[in-house]
Amino acid sequence: MATITCREVLAHLEPWMEGERPLDLQAHLRTCAHCSSVVNDLESIHTEASSWSAAEQDAPERVWTSLRAQLEQEGLIRDAIPAHEDAAKAQAPRAGWFSSLFPRLPRPVLAGAYLAALVAVAFALSGPVNKRVNEARWLKGTQVSTSPLSAQLDFDEQNSNSYVTRANPAVTASLHQNLALVDKYIALCEKSVNEEPQNEVARDYLYEAYQQKADLLTQMTERGENVQ
Amino acid sequence: MPEAEAIRLAQQGDAAAFERLYRLHNRRVYSLCLRMVSNTAEAEDLTQEAFLQLFRKIATFRGESAFSTWLHRLAVNVVLMKLRKKSGNESSLEELTEPDEDSGGPRRDFGGPDLRLSGSIDRVNLQRAVDQLPPGYKSVFVLHDVQGYEHNEIAEIMDCSIGNSKSQLHKARMRLRELLHEALRAQAREERKAASADSGGKD
Repeated sequence: MATITCREVLAHLEPWMEGERPLDLQAHLRTCAHCSSVVNDLESIHTEASSWSAAEQDAPERVWTSLRAQLEQEGLIRDAIPAHEDAAKAQAPRAGWFSSLFPRLPRPVLAGAYLAALVAVAFALSGPVNKRVNEARWLKGTQVSTSPLSAQLDFDEQNSNSYVTRANPAVTASLHQNLALVDKYIALCEKSVNEEPQNEVARDYLYEAYQQKADLLTQMTERGENVQ
Repeated sequence: MPEAEAIRLAQQGDAAAFERLYRLHNRRVYSLCLRMVSNTAEAEDLTQEAFLQLFRKIATFRGESAFSTWLHRLAVNVVLMKLRKKSGNESSLEELTEPDEDSGGPRRDFGGPDLRLSGSIDRVNLQRAVDQLPPGYKSVFVLHDVQGYEHNEIAEIMDCSIGNSKSQLHKARMRLRELLHEALRAQAREERKAASADSGGKD
């Protein structure tokens, strides 16, 4: 027999949902369809909500990219690390990483590689712009497609340096000066793209900057090879 | 890199440590924001803002509370501030968790039609109901029922008492039940309307 009223049940629902099971409430719920329906509803809501955590996903990568840029801008972090480098690379000083490549550099045939890389990136960059279904996919595509090119150019720059040192010192100095200018231009373009990743003009400028650097590196390599 | 080491290095400005902390916690923070605002672009912005605040203040973290609790506290505050700005509501956070009892109290449960929700609750209609909760109720509900935090942790995150957390959660669930019933009744009305239109057309 129920010993409490429906109205009194309300006061006990909160502890009930926390796991308390007083006997008088159990008795009431056995005999009262309405109160038992309320309890069932609350338990169903809790059960459904609990299942949501299984579908949790990481924030899109652009959140970290943007956050890192902001942290760098505010000077909160030192030794800014590219997002996709592995831990070993991330912990090594940049100069050390480059210098470690020198002893095992193969003889580069860079011009073809540059062109292939640029064609691939041009395709990756321009395709999604014309055909993009939504902004999210486009943003991800931009980040994924520009990072490998930037890394490839860094790598090829080291290769070119090892060859260009064999050329005329005056020419070498001039090439290095131009390279510094292009690097500065690339840094500005990358900053603009990071700030406004959906800005097509900024992206086009970045692409042109990469192309200029690729052209310059090709010249450097050719000159280096010519003096051998 | 263990979390404690990452915290120590991040306090010295180490970039890899910042990234490690972000990777460890971004999923829960992003999920919290997404459940609170139901909009991916806004959730991304809020996640970024929460971590930005975290990294700005990380030098002051002394370990009195769990790092994740501290981070969630920042995240909840960021979300609540955003919701307040959005609604143009200048009321306090306490008011955000205490809507008028007359409109949301459990008394309504006695007197309405005795519908059962069991079997009719799914992700879509529950999220729709959650979207309509007052921000304070929503925070406690998402933290407890979705993310699995205990009331003592929620009390720390929300800067309230454990009893208050329990009470807000119960009110949130009761309000959700009410909203789900309303949706169920509206759906039933629509179905009746459609059925009567069909039978009218045939006559």
